[in-house]
Amino acid sequence: MDRGLYIAASGMLAEQIRQEQIANDLANASTAGYKADRTAQSTFGDLLLANSGSGAVVGRQSTAVQVAAIETDFTPAAARDTGEPLDFAVTGEGFFAVQTPQGVRYTRNGQFALDSQGRLVTARGDLVLGRGGAPIASRDGKVDARLIGVVNLTNPRKEGDSLVSGTPAGAATGQVRAGALEASGADAARAMVDMIASMRAFEAGQKVIQAIDDTLGRAATQVGAVSGS
Amino acid sequence: MLQGLNSAAAGMAAQQQRMDAVANDLANANTTGYKHQRVGFRDLVYDQVGRSSAQGVRTGSGSAAVDAGRSFAQGVLQRTQRPLDVAIQGEGFLRVRLADGREALTRDGGLQIDGAGRLVTSAGSLLQPQITVPDGVPEDAISIGPDGTVLIDGRNAGRLDLVTVRSVQGLISVGDNAFTTSPASGPETAAPQTTVLSQGALESSNSDMAESMVAMIEAQRAFQLASKAITMADEMMGIANGVKR
Repeated sequence: MDRGLYIAASGMLAEQIRQEQIANDLANASTAGYKADRTAQSTFGDLLLANSGSGAVVGRQSTAVQVAAIETDFTPAAARDTGEPLDFAVTGEGFFAVQTPQGVRYTRNGQFALDSQGRLVTARGDLVLGRGGAPIASRDGKVDARLIGVVNLTNPRKEGDSLVSGTPAGAATGQVRAGALEASGADAARAMVDMIASMRAFEAGQKVIQAIDDTLGRAATQVGAVSGS
Repeated sequence: MLQGLNSAAAGMAAQQQRMDAVANDLANANTTGYKHQRVGFRDLVYDQVGRSSAQGVRTGSGSAAVDAGRSFAQGVLQRTQRPLDVAIQGEGFLRVRLADGREALTRDGGLQIDGAGRLVTSAGSLLQPQITVPDGVPEDAISIGPDGTVLIDGRNAGRLDLVTVRSVQGLISVGDNAFTTSPASGPETAAPQTTVLSQGALESSNSDMAESMVAMIEAQRAFQLASKAITMADEMMGIANGVKR
């Protein structure tokens, strides 16, 4: 009986994590080059129930649910024209390579600027790497989009600050376009629907707990009660 | 749950910053030589979520606004026929000295003559190098060439210095249409030869009304969406509270 309580509670916890993921997507609805996440849930591992007398298998029973993974959907989003000479978007697959203090990181947020030496940098001041892996210098305040390196990644993983880590796997097929930024991959309509679905699943978990609580309460107070009292 | 609340609140704060920038752009739709502000966004750290999840399950913590500097796109030239109005065509700035003594750069070319006969900007900043107009000379007698040479009654009276910096995004806006250099922008260098001055015109603000309106709508909607996530988180906490009646 009380196993059901824990199963319902684990479901509520999992929905809570999904809700956090959706809140993050919504907060990044305007972040250029942002990639939306998906929360995948899985059962925690089944118990095989058997008749203790005869040994006959009765069936399986799930013990709980957990969030198995939060996957990032790296599908390219549409590019949006800004007309700024130092805004770049990758159309198609691939990432810009950026030299950060922690090592080379990758990004699809192409809102770049020049540093005091005329080199192309990200908004946070990290150097953007060219096709050969070297920084890109500009003479006249403009940068040729073809000079910027685009790298394919295996196992890309979001690191925050619009950066992504991963293992480079050669040049990508994506083309760099100047004067544009990639729109956020967060889909507001989908996020709202997911949020409602998740909230209702959470609510259902609460109802299950209440129902079990009711049953337990009755077992405790009514089963042994003397009738008429 | 609390993390979800904070992520959404961070998103709202970021949108608010964009709204502030848009409001400033709209307020300066008629400011000579104004350059519109650009606001970008970035996502924040991804943290491992605690119990009830497998290893490597991480949720983000919202977004933050990024100051992407100004857009230095050329503004439209407006003919005024006033001899002391100059518009810069192309990359570059006029050098001025602010009231507090700091050197600054501006693209506001609505020049005036101050009490001592010196050329100043409309905000009262002294043009550098100083150019003095002798007493009694009518404004019509002043001619400013494309390269900045100032002729008063046909005699050379000095030159308007056109400069630029390596990284215009690194300039710091100090108000009064002026920018100061910073370590990020690099020192002043001569403007390219292609930059010319045009007398009798002013450069209008490059903030685009339609673009600002679209940005405003977008910021408002994104703000609203993030606030919905807060409402939802609140509701879920209410449900969790209702587990024990």
